[in-house]
Amino acid sequence: MLTLNNLMPDPLRERLSGKTSSVWNCTVQFEPGEWVNITAPSGTGKTTFIHILYGLRKDYSGTVLFNQTDLRSLDPDALATVRQQKISIIFQDLKLFPHLTVRENIELKRILQEPYCDAEQVTAMAEQLGIAGILNQPAAICSYGEQQRACIIRALVQPFEWLIMDEPFSHLDIDNIKKAAALIAEECKRRRAGFIVTDLDENNLFPYTHKLHL
Amino acid sequence: MTPLASLLKKLIRNSAGHIRYTVAIMGLSIAVFLLLAAVQIQVNYNELLHSRHNRDSIANFLVINKQLTDASLGKTALEDSVIQDIRAQSFVQSVGMLTPGRFRASIQSKSDRFPFYTDISFESVPGAFIDVSGIEWTWKETASYVPVIIPNTFLDMYNFQFSLSQNLPQLTPDIVKMLLFTITVYGPKGTATFNGKIVGFSDRISSMLVPTEFMDWGNRNFATEQIKNPSRLIIRTEDPGNPALTDYLRKHGLTTDAEKTRFSKYRKIVDTVVAISGISGALMLLFALLIFTLFIQLTIASCKEEINLLITLGASPGQLSRFLMNRFFPPNAWMITISFAALGLLQFFLSRYLQQQQVAISGIISVYTLGAAILLGLLIWWANRKTIRNYIYPGS
Repeated sequence: MLTLNNLMPDPLRERLSGKTSSVWNCTVQFEPGEWVNITAPSGTGKTTFIHILYGLRKDYSGTVLFNQTDLRSLDPDALATVRQQKISIIFQDLKLFPHLTVRENIELKRILQEPYCDAEQVTAMAEQLGIAGILNQPAAICSYGEQQRACIIRALVQPFEWLIMDEPFSHLDIDNIKKAAALIAEECKRRRAGFIVTDLDENNLFPYTHKLHL
Repeated sequence: MTPLASLLKKLIRNSAGHIRYTVAIMGLSIAVFLLLAAVQIQVNYNELLHSRHNRDSIANFLVINKQLTDASLGKTALEDSVIQDIRAQSFVQSVGMLTPGRFRASIQSKSDRFPFYTDISFESVPGAFIDVSGIEWTWKETASYVPVIIPNTFLDMYNFQFSLSQNLPQLTPDIVKMLLFTITVYGPKGTATFNGKIVGFSDRISSMLVPTEFMDWGNRNFATEQIKNPSRLIIRTEDPGNPALTDYLRKHGLTTDAEKTRFSKYRKIVDTVVAISGISGALMLLFALLIFTLFIQLTIASCKEEINLLITLGASPGQLSRFLMNRFFPPNAWMITISFAALGLLQFFLSRYLQQQQVAISGIISVYTLGAAILLGLLIWWANRKTIRNYIYPGS
């Protein structure tokens, strides 16, 4: 269970004061397995919000409770365990190692902990998203869209209870968005996992259980 | 190498330079070798001093008296405070008093073939300080003879000087032990005569020794002087070559057989060699550890972005620390093993060389040196781990 209590990032405090939000400065609870869509225009803290949920930022007031544990209270090794076992992520800025191949980037995440799926499944996912042909290319020379699909696969090869996604389809065409959304939905169902996806506009890519405005 | 480790190896490259790395490893090797050598030299010296093969049987017992100078003439008795002070020294294991006879005595041959007569004085010392074994070192009034121990040098003097000049037969120790002579003790109450027999020869104490019981009886019944403190005492010491012992004796105007403390000057040389080797080894270890630590820091700093991203993606600092330790520590462990093996070879050849010089030291490296190698390994492991964790764990 994810519980947000009066969350307010320090750098955005002034900018967000006086604005209405169903997340900032509110108490929000996400039950396991919920599919949550959060929409907001640029500059309202979507990436900040995702980074807070993933434990990357600590400059905020309020608390994020993951299964009743304050994320900020976890030591680095415990936080790493959460990132390996409980929460997976698709970053807006991708965060791939440019000189590793696409396959190596995915493989690294797959074997960082006890592998959840085998190497053949990675290939199958790559085929499903149309990037099987570039698996052995260094990430640096792939297009942004290819890299984004690689990041989606990278997030799906580990065990997780929550998948958090920061504008995961920003550089994909509608056809590839549908394929990626189908793969994400399939993997989340397989794990009975919830997800939180942020985007600029509302969409109906998934049967959301929760729609919020940041 | 695990698949994860080989991926991490691609990300965390050795960008701090191979020359710097080689210099760091070589510096550490020399430092470790010097430190281990210091330990082994010390062990070898102790073995030379204390082992059964090398120990001089007289070396652990020293007879001590005041240095005879114009000022100390007639005042050679050792005061109680001096005796207590000697007893309290760390290098003294036990102290025995050489009790002087306070009565006049003479010995006279019973044999016409080998006539002699001489005035004599006796000393006694507790049995534990005597270096003649297999004898009954006691006396009672009903005993058929008084056992006497004489210094070995007396017999040598007789056999190789006196007998030759006086045209007398030379005597083996066994013949001397068969000679029976008369001991006459003189006192205010008259005289008493006993049979005397030489039961052994001492390398340790240059006195005519009789059992304490005889000495006490004589002093009780025939003493012509008041009880006075002994002028000489015998100490048992772990290491007669201990410079602290010789310094103490010199400082307090005491003296002993210089031959027995001859190890003291060797000891000083060994101590100096050990100190030079140990200090230079320790300094080199310090600098080499600093260079090595710097090398680790540079490697981590040059891969800071990759490490940060790995942690962001979920790699635990513990995982990365283990990977870095597996990368940096094994060369150190090898370096210690090679230094240890080199020292082992050196020890083997040294032992063989010294064997030709009739000096026995073990051909195998000591457990203390092995212990020191393990300790150094732990120290380097700790230094590596601390450096890595300082740079890997955020905020530490």
